[in-house]
Amino acid sequence: MFKKILIANRGEIAVRILRACRELGIQTVSVYSEVDRTSLHVRLADEAYLIGPAASRESYLRIDKLMDVAKKSGCDALHPGYGFLAENAALPRACVDAGITFIGPSAEAMEAMGSKTAGKQLARRAEVPTVPGTSDPIENPEEAQALAQNMGYPVLLKAIAGGGGKGMRVVPNDAAFASAWRDAASEALNAFGDQRVFVEKYLIGPRHIEIQILADAHGRCVSLGERECSVQRRHQKVVEEAPSPVVTPELRRKMGDAAVRLGRAGGYVNAGTVEFLVDANLNFYFLEVNTRLQVEHPVTEQVTGLDLVKLQIAIAADHRLPFAWETITPRGHAMEVRLYAEDPDNNFFPSPGKIISRHAPTGPGIRLDEGVYEGWTVPMDYDPLLSKLIAWGNSREETIARLRRALDEYTIMGIRTNVGLFRRILAEPEFLRGEIHTKWLDEVLARPRPPVEPPRPGTEEAALIATALWHSAQSNNSPPGSADSQATPARWKMEGRRQQMDHMP
Amino acid sequence: MKFEIQLTGAKGKRKHVVELKRTGDVSAVFLDRQALDADAVQIAPNVVSVMLGGQSFEFHISRSTDGTMKLRCGAHEYIADIIDPRAWRGRKHGAVEVEGRQEILAPMPGKVVRVLAKVGDSVEAGQGLLVVEAMKMQNEIRSPKSGKVERLLVKEGQNVNAGEVLAWVE
Repeated sequence: MFKKILIANRGEIAVRILRACRELGIQTVSVYSEVDRTSLHVRLADEAYLIGPAASRESYLRIDKLMDVAKKSGCDALHPGYGFLAENAALPRACVDAGITFIGPSAEAMEAMGSKTAGKQLARRAEVPTVPGTSDPIENPEEAQALAQNMGYPVLLKAIAGGGGKGMRVVPNDAAFASAWRDAASEALNAFGDQRVFVEKYLIGPRHIEIQILADAHGRCVSLGERECSVQRRHQKVVEEAPSPVVTPELRRKMGDAAVRLGRAGGYVNAGTVEFLVDANLNFYFLEVNTRLQVEHPVTEQVTGLDLVKLQIAIAADHRLPFAWETITPRGHAMEVRLYAEDPDNNFFPSPGKIISRHAPTGPGIRLDEGVYEGWTVPMDYDPLLSKLIAWGNSREETIARLRRALDEYTIMGIRTNVGLFRRILAEPEFLRGEIHTKWLDEVLARPRPPVEPPRPGTEEAALIATALWHSAQSNNSPPGSADSQATPARWKMEGRRQQMDHMP
Repeated sequence: MKFEIQLTGAKGKRKHVVELKRTGDVSAVFLDRQALDADAVQIAPNVVSVMLGGQSFEFHISRSTDGTMKLRCGAHEYIADIIDPRAWRGRKHGAVEVEGRQEILAPMPGKVVRVLAKVGDSVEAGQGLLVVEAMKMQNEIRSPKSGKVERLLVKEGQNVNAGEVLAWVE
């Protein structure tokens, strides 16, 4: 096993990896930019080194500096986390050159599977279904119509030279094909001077469902089941859950087999994710491979009881996976929400700044993966992800109830967060029924906002009293929390108790 | 101590007078001259617990850059403004704001990546003045009125704090 691991990342994922290392008794080395000196991943690490100014390309994206730190501190392995250099094949190559183990796939596997086009070619070879259609133009309308009948309606006609929706037609059925073809071709000719059109299967309200795979260096590749990530805002996942409300054991086995076939075909080793689009008839189509740990990996951990980061480290240390696919079935339900420093009431503007006060939820079925603390200033230079709040329970209903309860407990002052967005999502009837797709959240946000549940009677009066007390405590200039400021409320308390006694029947 | 407070919440804006009275060891709370069965304790520097007729409330409180207070209680949020007749601050919230010289403030800390207007330029209401980047997102700061750019107080590449004056539009 490794003695010391370099964590080439920051924020919550660096903290997540640190914790796994600590549990394994492995020393940790963090790196930080000038604005991250007080960040949690630096405070918690055994060693930490400054690698440059705030801008990522001068710090967290500098492979040379990472290698310097790794050599200087005597690291024998490097974990890239997600984002930054995690999918850059130059990093595993640099690690090989420096004699350091990269905790992730080889550079070759990353290149063979990581890019969308290479991944799609590999999928075809591994007989993993891709969205049916052809990227070659079809000259003859009869030939195109036969192809459409073959793949099943609805289909999408797309101009070869297309863009901006021009020369694009959705064909709902066979009867509409001929006229749609004429329209698309003439529109394409007018818009681009090129009337060639190709045919693709049109997916109505597809879901985004992905399969977590793990592969060791000894030929075993397993699927850990799916994650449903259809709730997205502008292609960015915001809520993830496992299992998916629509995936049956049979579909899970089929998708898992496909993902494993793909992993084997690409010579993949370590943790990876195969993303699929799933249509209303539960047909699934390969989308792309993420050759790294995912942000949403905790939901898989909660329903499988496995620690993916520790398994990544074990695989990199050449250990064998200790289990067979048959032994892994999801237990219970898990759901994650991504809390960002952004203001949903103001067009999701980023909201960096100082966290003045914070109360984190705890209790049954709650997990919080985060890299923030009270008094820390969220820098403006990086991704605004603050925390991942994960709930799990026996059923989807219990999990949602726990998540709602935890969101009500979670308070951060000083910066704006998108907590309100999740209160809204978790109250939407369609979400509660599991009727979601990749465009669903954008549609919900375009609708008028449902009325917020009114505050309890007395909240306004209580707010006025709180304002007066807090203001007087502040203007008394007594340092907050000192004996003096505590003395005043104590008298209020006594008087309140006395009055309550008076009111007793 | 007596405070006149303007509270803005879901029900709109309202003014109230809160009095915290202390006679020896005994204290009392009055809201608009009515005695309340209430008790308030500061739990942490920014947290106040209020007991009102047996109902328990907890508020997280912070002061905004404009001097008002922000209170949060679960999903609900309030803005409180202490009205102090001696204070010069707090007089600026009025409806007639788009007249006269406008100070353009940075809505968040960030870096000025582009300046779109020059001093002396005529601008329309809603026209972009500069672009501030924060957390990988670029945000255009627009003019609140049509008029002339009188001053530009920042340069491209400069870091700015929330509430910092970026420009004047006259």
